[in-house]
Order: sequence, then C-alpha cells, then structure tokens
Amino acid sequence: MAQGRKGKLNYRCPRCLMREIDMDMLYDRDADEYYCLRCSFVGDEQEVIRLNAQFREKYRDRARRITDF
Amino acid sequence: MGEFYVTIIHRPEMVPEYLQKEAEEGKAEDLTRSGVIQESLDIFRTQQRVAHENGLHTTIQMTYASLFNAEVVAIAKEHHEKYGDEIGSTFLGIQCQQFRDKFQSKELAVWLFSMEDKRRIVDEVIGKFYEVFGFYPTSTGSYYMDAELVNYIKSRYPMIKVAVATCWEEGPKAYWNANNSWYTIFDGSPWNPWIPSKRNIHCPASDEEDDIGIVAIPHLSRDLLAVFDGPGSYYGTHPQNILRGMVYEEREIPYFKNMVDQYRAMVKYNRGYAYNMMFVGPGWMSKTGRWESDYAFLLKSYQDGMAYYGQLKREGKAKDVTMSEFADIYRRDRPYIRPECTLWKDILYGSKRQQFWYVDPWMRTCLDMNQGGAMIDLRPYAAKLVRPCGVGTKCLQDASYPFLVQSFYRAGYFTHYAGEGAVKSCKFAHKGEEVDLCTCRTLASFSEEGDTRVVTLDPVEIEFASFTISVQSVFRFAEGTGEIEIVRKIIDTTDPQAEVTINEYITACYGTTEYPEDLTGVRLTLEGASGTESIDYAYRCREAEMDGIARADALVPQVDTRLTMRANTDKAAGYFREGFAFSPMYTIGIKKAVKGKEELRTWLKVEKAS
Repeated sequence: MAQGRKGKLNYRCPRCLMREIDMDMLYDRDADEYYCLRCSFVGDEQEVIRLNAQFREKYRDRARRITDF
Repeated sequence: MGEFYVTIIHRPEMVPEYLQKEAEEGKAEDLTRSGVIQESLDIFRTQQRVAHENGLHTTIQMTYASLFNAEVVAIAKEHHEKYGDEIGSTFLGIQCQQFRDKFQSKELAVWLFSMEDKRRIVDEVIGKFYEVFGFYPTSTGSYYMDAELVNYIKSRYPMIKVAVATCWEEGPKAYWNANNSWYTIFDGSPWNPWIPSKRNIHCPASDEEDDIGIVAIPHLSRDLLAVFDGPGSYYGTHPQNILRGMVYEEREIPYFKNMVDQYRAMVKYNRGYAYNMMFVGPGWMSKTGRWESDYAFLLKSYQDGMAYYGQLKREGKAKDVTMSEFADIYRRDRPYIRPECTLWKDILYGSKRQQFWYVDPWMRTCLDMNQGGAMIDLRPYAAKLVRPCGVGTKCLQDASYPFLVQSFYRAGYFTHYAGEGAVKSCKFAHKGEEVDLCTCRTLASFSEEGDTRVVTLDPVEIEFASFTISVQSVFRFAEGTGEIEIVRKIIDTTDPQAEVTINEYITACYGTTEYPEDLTGVRLTLEGASGTESIDYAYRCREAEMDGIARADALVPQVDTRLTMRANTDKAAGYFREGFAFSPMYTIGIKKAVKGKEELRTWLKVEKAS
C-alpha cells in the first residue's frame, strides 16, 4: 500500500472530531482516500466534507447574528 | 471605567509550531528553514497591516527568535513610531537556533522549565530585548506564567506591569482535544483581566501585600459556556480558533461578533467596564491553509474580526489599547476585592442556557441556570495555594488551580446509577418524594445592592403527587466576604398545610482533572445545639445529623480549604455524609421543614484553612 501523506487543508478525522479530538488524517493517493491513525475512519474527500457539515449542525446558532445581551 | 477596551496582540514568531510541522513533512528538523521564517514574517506583516487599516494599534510581542531578525526589529520600531504600537516581549516563540545553542533544550513552554532555567531564560530574553531596543519592555506573556516566574521577573525587571498570564480553561479538555499531546494544563483562572496574587497566578490578589505587581490578561476572550465543556481552541476571540471549531456557514462567522458583543455587554455586570483581547500567532494563518480552511478563508476571518473591532472603535463603542495602556487604566479603578461577574448566555447551541460566572479573591464559581442555579464550579482562591509548576516540582505540567466542585469533570447531578457527583444544589422533599433543583431549568437576572451582586432566578414549579410549589432561588455575593448567601423561597403552594423539607447541600471533592484524588483526612464537622461531631474521611459511608445546627463544614487539608455552611435559624438541622471509593465525594448540608410560603436561607463560606 502507498505511503500515507498529509492531505490538502489538513483534514482532521471527522469521527474523532465528533468527540472533539483534533486528529489530522493521512491521505492515500492510490486509493484516493483519507484514513485515521486512531479510530479507523476511512473515506474520500466528499465523505469528510459531508461529516464535517454534520458536525457543524450542533451549532444551531452558527449562522445567526445575536445582538440582544 | 466606562468603556469596552480591546487589546490586539501580534507576535512575530520565526518558527511557529504549525508552520514548522508542515515544512518538516518528510524532512528533518531545521530551525533555520528560510521558507518558514519568510512565511511567518509575511503573516506578521499582514496582521499588522489589517489592524492598522482598521485604525487599531497593537502590541507587538517580540519573541526571542525575532530579536535576532533585523527586519522584524525594524518593523516593530517603525510601527511604534508611526502607529503607537507597543513593543513588548513574550516567552512564546523562544525556540530558534540561538536558543537551542544556548540552552540545549527543545522545551517550548516557559512555565515547564525548572526554576533555575526559568531565571536564566528570563534574563536572556529580557536582556536580549534591552540589547536590541535600548529599553526594557513593560509587557510580556506566554500561554501560562506561573507566580514563581512572575515574582522573579518583577524582582529583576520591576517596570513590567502586564502579562498574558493564562488561557481560560485550557486544561484537560485542551489536552484531550489535541490527541493528548498539548501540555497546556492550567484550568481555573479568571476569564477577564485581574491582578494576581503573589502566591498563585490564578488567584486575584487580596490586597497590596498580596499583589504580584502585574495586571494579568487571559490569552483570548473565550466563550464561557462552550469552553467550560469543550475545547478552548474552538471558541474565542481568535477567528482561526473558530474555524478550527467549524462555527461558520458559507464562510461567514457571525459567532465572532456575537462573542464580542456579549463581552461588550459585560459593562452591565462590572461597573461599566468590559474587555476583549485578540491574539493570533502567525502559525494559524498558514499560506497552505489550516483546519479545513484555505488561506483565503483564514485571511478573511482575520480581516472580518479586525474590521468589527475597527467599526466599534469608529462608532465610539470600543477603545483600542496596548497591553501597558490597559494595565494603567485597569489599575486606576480596580479595588482588590471588587469581583468580576457575568451572566453568560448560550450563543452557539440554540438553547437559552445561562451560566453566571463570578470571581473575587476568595473564589471562582459558576451557577448553571440549566440546572436550577446549581453550582457547577468552585475554586477556593482564598487558600492562595502555592503550587509551583515545571521540571523539579511536584505538579510539573499540572498547573491548574484545584477545584472543590467541577461538575463536568466529577459528574455533577447525573451519575451512572451509583454514588454522587460534585455539585451544589437544593432538594425539596415531601413524604418520600424528592426533587432536586438540578432538574428544574430556569433563567436568571442580575442586579446590585450596594456592594452585593445578586442573581435572581425565575421561579420553578415543583410537582409532588398531591400538590405543587413554586420556588425561587436568590444568590447574593457580598463583596469582601468570601461568602454566598442562598435563599430558597417557596413563593406559592397549592397546599399551604403540606410540609416540605428544603435541603441545601454541597457535594464536593477536590482535584484538577477528571480523575479522583484521595479524600483521606478530609474532616467533616457539625456544630450545633448538642455540641460538635466530627469524622476524618475514610471511605466508610458514615453520616451524621444535628438539630439546631450552627455550622456544617468540610476541612480539606489537601487544598488548605475550609468550606462552611450556616443558616440564620436554630430550627434547621445540619448533616454530613461521607462517601465511599466508588463515590469519592463528601457532602455537607442544612435542611429545614417548612409549610406554606416559607424559605431557607443559608450561607456558604470559602476560607483558607491554615
């Protein structure tokens, strides 16, 4: 199997991110996929982006401007 | 004071850890790699330019490495002349070839060196600064500055009056968040500037004798709710932190402005004064992108953040000050015993949750309105624990200030079906039914009565099988007493004849992390009408109760603290409860049977035991 390298934009493992662990993934060029050294996550860029969007959903006010304090 | 002050800090790091890591991908370490140094310099210039374009002046914290770079020194001098930027010093960014040659160490955290090395480093860093600029800095900083380090700095360089001294709640959570590899373990400080004690940097000084001689500024202004239960590096006035936390949508970050505005609103709680600081190291704005964000987004987030501060300044709603300017302003109107407080509300998760945070020289505490005003954090600053850190000390990396209550580290109300967790709350009981206020979420308001800060909770309904009561809680923090008065009042009932027992309690422990510490030797005592009863903790599940209670207290010698509860009636009973190894907690409490619209009024006092 190919040597794992740092992928673009330092994608963190989205599964580890769900438990608030910042874990950079390695990228396998031959398989065109990212993988995590810790939690066994494996997925292509689209899967990472999809899960990152899911992570952000917990911030229900992420797009809301709040001025009443 | 009647202003919102903003301090913008930039540090020209020559070898920022993130950039260096990237540059080292597949290569051997080289601290003189010119690509890294040039990129870092570019980012520093960009940060300075963005601040100045928005009409803001900055504090340039010169790293040791940058003192050897003529270009950075020239920029600092030029910007000091042209924009009034302060040239300060920092103990961040010490690593460079010159440091490596002189100290033969790869250590990057100044607080983790031995005391002997700390002294040598202070003299080298400040001495080099003087050699380069011809004057001594008046500001310094790091992620953490222990009291022993600051005491030494003050003894040698008394002109230093301000330091970035801690990162708020950067402790076990930050360590976990960084895959257990980032040793910034120092929970337990104030979230806003303070004058630290000579004995422990986390604690506000009690008086002039205790004053360490600097104003401490926390590294970043952080989301008090999100960071108490999440990584500090996601939620603060650091745009790239927010990108790391992914709190954005379509490349817009209203959360940053929301946080700034909530900090601005702290004027309501702190005699017209509020504060913010922004401090982004160049490593966070890597040209190759970081935290799933490309450079364009990293830059945009920085520009947007700075633009908002600039806008507030233009509108007369913010005043930009350097660190030393701020220290002078702060000292002008800051009695030692004046508390800092804030009724923080959720701006992230879409709940209405509020937490009330309070700091004075006796304690730091937090009340969680989501749990009926339960106390979920209590740090006994009154003990002023001398707790050195770094190589050669017992604590080494664990520089946190100990808690007696930290409900998220030690369970709080909800435990996994056995034992108890650390929390202070109140229970209402009637004929075998019992309801804890932790289960009654509510909202609160803040007011002041002279020098007493008052937190008044909206009433909550408690339903027993045959009747309902409405209960209101009021917390009163009297300045300079180390004591909190807590009123639990039944303001309405559907059965005025029904007897209800109000049980005010605190279940506590001590520690700095999630893991239990040995409670052996903690002394639990009741004093009342029938005398005194006392036990030394031995995990034996012992309990005692005494009518006509005068006081119930817990003496915790491990953290040199005495915690005392008292009431204003001789009709109340006091009790203590020892825990067991699967429930390593102790409880003291006061309870009273009431009918109709009665109340129980108790006081909780935090004192140094010795």
